[in-house]
Amino acid sequence: MKHLKAINNKAQLLDKAVAEDQVEEVVAMQSLAGCAATTDPGWEIDAFGSVTSLCQPMESDLYGCADPCWWPAQVPDMMNTHTNWNENALDSGESWRNLGTVFPSDKK
Amino acid sequence: MNNKNKMRKTLRSLMAGAGIVGAALSSGFTYANGPALKAGQEYMVVANYPNQIHVLDLQTDSLLKTCKVPGAYGPGVLQVAPDKKTVYMLTNHYEDVYGINVDDCSISFHTTFSDRQNSIRTKSLFSMALSPDGKELYVMHNPTKLNRDHYRVQDTYLAVYNTADGKGAKPVRTFPAPRQVTVMATGKDGGLYMAGADIYKMDVKTGKYDVHLPSRNWERPLYVQPDVLNAWPIQTPSKDFTILYTTARFQDEKQDLATADWIYGYLNVDLETGETETTDFGPITEIYFTGMKSPKDPNLVFGVLNRLAKYDVKQQKLIKAAELDHSYYCIAMNHDGSKVYLGGTYDDVAIYDADSMEKLGNIKLPGGDMAISTSQIFIR
Repeated sequence: MKHLKAINNKAQLLDKAVAEDQVEEVVAMQSLAGCAATTDPGWEIDAFGSVTSLCQPMESDLYGCADPCWWPAQVPDMMNTHTNWNENALDSGESWRNLGTVFPSDKK
Repeated sequence: MNNKNKMRKTLRSLMAGAGIVGAALSSGFTYANGPALKAGQEYMVVANYPNQIHVLDLQTDSLLKTCKVPGAYGPGVLQVAPDKKTVYMLTNHYEDVYGINVDDCSISFHTTFSDRQNSIRTKSLFSMALSPDGKELYVMHNPTKLNRDHYRVQDTYLAVYNTADGKGAKPVRTFPAPRQVTVMATGKDGGLYMAGADIYKMDVKTGKYDVHLPSRNWERPLYVQPDVLNAWPIQTPSKDFTILYTTARFQDEKQDLATADWIYGYLNVDLETGETETTDFGPITEIYFTGMKSPKDPNLVFGVLNRLAKYDVKQQKLIKAAELDHSYYCIAMNHDGSKVYLGGTYDDVAIYDADSMEKLGNIKLPGGDMAISTSQIFIR
């Protein structure tokens, strides 16, 4: 952070958090504030660098990841933004073909 | 907006309104399609899309009845009240709790956390528990203020509800509470255990809390910080509040990860006595999302995700594992410890013999996925 200067409100808030030793808390709440910043690995590769401990098949993990906005880069955020994404595919194993891609303009 | 768009919007809202009225008239959300529960019998409750609770009869391992719940599904965390009749469900995209009388499927309790008028969106991540007498419901609130140009995260707090307040209940007390709390359980003494960065214990009368069992901040020489996944507040027959962890233990002070032991273990609070345990039970060879101590032998611990595995805790050894048809998130066991019931993910509950680890069958649920819901087993 030595060579970076905060020039907007958000960056100044981050500076403030660093000064008050609250960075941990800023990070901790990301999934509830729009959940666009989760970067944990986990859907493409498991903890062992393999795929055997990923959910099998991947459809079984679909709504467990979409409902709580767990992997928002991989599946739509059903917690806040695309709450009806699976309305035509309540049973993911049977009807996953009814799931579509989402775009910001799709938000209702 | 042009006139066509205006008309479309009006039409859409009228249709939506008619739909709601129609649904309320036809079902009232209170119909029961099965008999009342019988005293002394063992049941399992599970939730799935589209926002419904199923009661399974564990004497026959079959579906007994289904109760519809208003609103949208997710996450479907269930907690069974001490009366063994009321089942509380965290739902509607993590923003509402409903209390459902599973005898007749009527709604005895409802609260919604968000304050839309003031643009406060409040979620609870799996964290809901009941007092030992069932008179109070505890829910973590994680509010976010939705301003027009930016969101602002608010302080987290514990909300206490009187379950007798019925529909439209509001918190009767609130207390500042730590961030990152996901699952909770109450002890016999009424203290509230809250699992987040550490496991805290809160006095629900005063709001005072302390670390009861350290997790992120544990001090175990040569161990690295544990990694935990807390999303399933399972009410176990043995009255244990159990959370799995993974960790690494260095061989010596050189702290060489290349030679470290990689370990699975559990953090446990005995809800009867408050006694705590931090126990390694085996090497990490695969991932489990939930685990449970056997009700008949506390030296046995089960874990599940892609396989159902059974460990001997003292020997820290895998005894046996069963291959599963697909991943299951949430483990449950009957009270005599003879059967394991696997829920979550898809729309079937798988049943395994706890001794032989042989598969005994599946119970297919009407509707869709259970996803990340917490199922529970109880005796009426």
